[in-house]
Amino acid sequence: MARASQIKAIGATVAGILIASSIAGTAFGEGAMPATPAPPTPPVAATTPAPYSPECQSGSTEIVTATPLPNVAAALQKRRTVRILAIGNSAGRRHGGYTRHIERILQQVVKGADVVIINRGVSGELAANSALRIKNEVAMTSPDLVIWQVGTDDALAFVPLEELGETVQSTITWLKEHNVDVVLAGLQYVDRVAQDEYYHRVRKLLREIAAKEHVMIIRRYEAMQFIAAAQESGNGFGPDEFERTEAGYNCLAQYLASAITLGAFGKGMSMRPLRGQKPQQPPPMQ
Amino acid sequence: MPRQANAIDFWRGIALITIFINHVPGIYYARFTHANYSLSDSADLFVFLAGWSLRLMVGSPNRPPQSEWYIVLRLGGRAVQLYAVQIMITMIAIAMLAASATFLDNPLLLEWHNAAAVFYDPILTHIGLATLTHQLGYFDILPLYVVLMTVAPIFAIIDRYAPSWLLPLSIALYLATLIVPIPAPTWPIEGQWFFNPLAWQLVFVLGFVLAREDGVGGFVRRHIVLLRWLSVPIVAISAYIVWNRMWPDPTLAPHPRLLFIADKTYVTPMRLIQFLALIALFSGTYPYIKRWVSWFVNVCSMLGRNALIVFCVGSILSLAGQITRFVYRGDIVVDTLVVIVGISIMAFAAWLPEWREQVRSRPSAQPSPAS
Repeated sequence: MARASQIKAIGATVAGILIASSIAGTAFGEGAMPATPAPPTPPVAATTPAPYSPECQSGSTEIVTATPLPNVAAALQKRRTVRILAIGNSAGRRHGGYTRHIERILQQVVKGADVVIINRGVSGELAANSALRIKNEVAMTSPDLVIWQVGTDDALAFVPLEELGETVQSTITWLKEHNVDVVLAGLQYVDRVAQDEYYHRVRKLLREIAAKEHVMIIRRYEAMQFIAAAQESGNGFGPDEFERTEAGYNCLAQYLASAITLGAFGKGMSMRPLRGQKPQQPPPMQ
Repeated sequence: MPRQANAIDFWRGIALITIFINHVPGIYYARFTHANYSLSDSADLFVFLAGWSLRLMVGSPNRPPQSEWYIVLRLGGRAVQLYAVQIMITMIAIAMLAASATFLDNPLLLEWHNAAAVFYDPILTHIGLATLTHQLGYFDILPLYVVLMTVAPIFAIIDRYAPSWLLPLSIALYLATLIVPIPAPTWPIEGQWFFNPLAWQLVFVLGFVLAREDGVGGFVRRHIVLLRWLSVPIVAISAYIVWNRMWPDPTLAPHPRLLFIADKTYVTPMRLIQFLALIALFSGTYPYIKRWVSWFVNVCSMLGRNALIVFCVGSILSLAGQITRFVYRGDIVVDTLVVIVGISIMAFAAWLPEWREQVRSRPSAQPSPAS
């Protein structure tokens, strides 16, 4: 409990800096304490994350929930460095994959901080295999945050729900016990799986686990579904599903960067609309 | 005539069958493979037996030795053959994934088996495929085998001129790889080889060294009964740990951690010791298995005699099985059919070259002199 209060206090300190940097907002966490002793190193400062690019805006669909990432906040305060371990379908895209986008966005947003991404993603890997690797990778690389893309491949391989649930739940518990924050990147959306009952049961399972364990989950399915619907109702020349799946990873980078910033610095930060552009409704941040 | 069934071919056949089953994720029958009861799995056995086979190829110093040039050329040729096979099965797998994604209208299939980069970042990834620095998931053991076969002449020459040095040198390289640690990086996608060749070379060398009837191999043969007794608790305890998922917490391991945790990429000591205990324990069972189920031994030995072609066919079949499970929604019936059809095709792929060889060697097949 003492540790939790301490972390909340750190979060509040950082959030105070945010306010000073012209962002109205409050620190996350009820009962956040005012800043106590000055940190030994100058605190990192954060600006508002860049807005989602137009193709990633998803109406009122809730994509990112502002869930605290106390270990990320503490790492930024203590070391000015955050170490992020990416597991799952994190690789395989141009320019180093979506994790490179996250690194770039976070370094723009969190001034003075060093963002280290440890990319250990293997596309197509089942959760059970990832879970074994996560523990060893945590032991070897000491991350503050694990981004775990999980569920899509298990749903396609029809891994029994109980088995998947036990794997994800126990791994999250283990990570929390080891002071590592977790962000889950949920299932992807393509038309083909929209009517698949098993796929939806996996989605529901992951949402339930995330809610129970109070960990952040990026609701990628809903975002991609909204974007697909918006594009299909447009002029008929939108990207096909293969291109959309590719583009979905760029959006995922933006959602994750937003989620990490909010998790570390509080929910007062909101997305600015693009200059000179009619703002679409940004995703709510809580 | 193909050689008679023997223990090496039999166990290699077993490894090929279990690799096929374990490479269909989610399949019901995977729970019966020894990977569920053992820290090591069929990959360790496959690499160990590859080292053992190297001994059969290059011989012992007390047998009339082949010349060094013969060894270099023969093993180099084998490495090139393995490389060509790796490229071929990788391209077939990529085509299967692309066809499945297209005809099933599901782009998510493009991400299976670490294939996403091939489709979404093709320019650099094709360089990576050719240089073996990008490997599809489940298609990652042959790159290790290519590397091992490329350096195998060095192992063979050290074994010939300084046999007592080979194992210590191999262990030293292994320990350095784990202690530093020295990763085998992938490119263009950041990551590591699934099988680190600098670590896995020890498994290969152990197979090579233990196949010798003197030296370490002789020592093991002389003390095999004692070693089997010592192996019983190691195998039993590790089975209990794996079955109950009671893995020790790797963050509590002292540094350098790779020496104390269970890890497949670096085939860490915990895994290696369990593997050696497993083969010590089961190496004596072959005569009994042969007596009780000789037909099974014959089939597995046939698979083992034709290991490369069976491995290729099995790799493609495991991907086909995965796609089949996706299309027909994996259940016990589909899984049973996948296993039966898969093993049958693997057996046919092994039988075919032996049948051709037999036909070719029949007297009637000899070309008649020109009239």
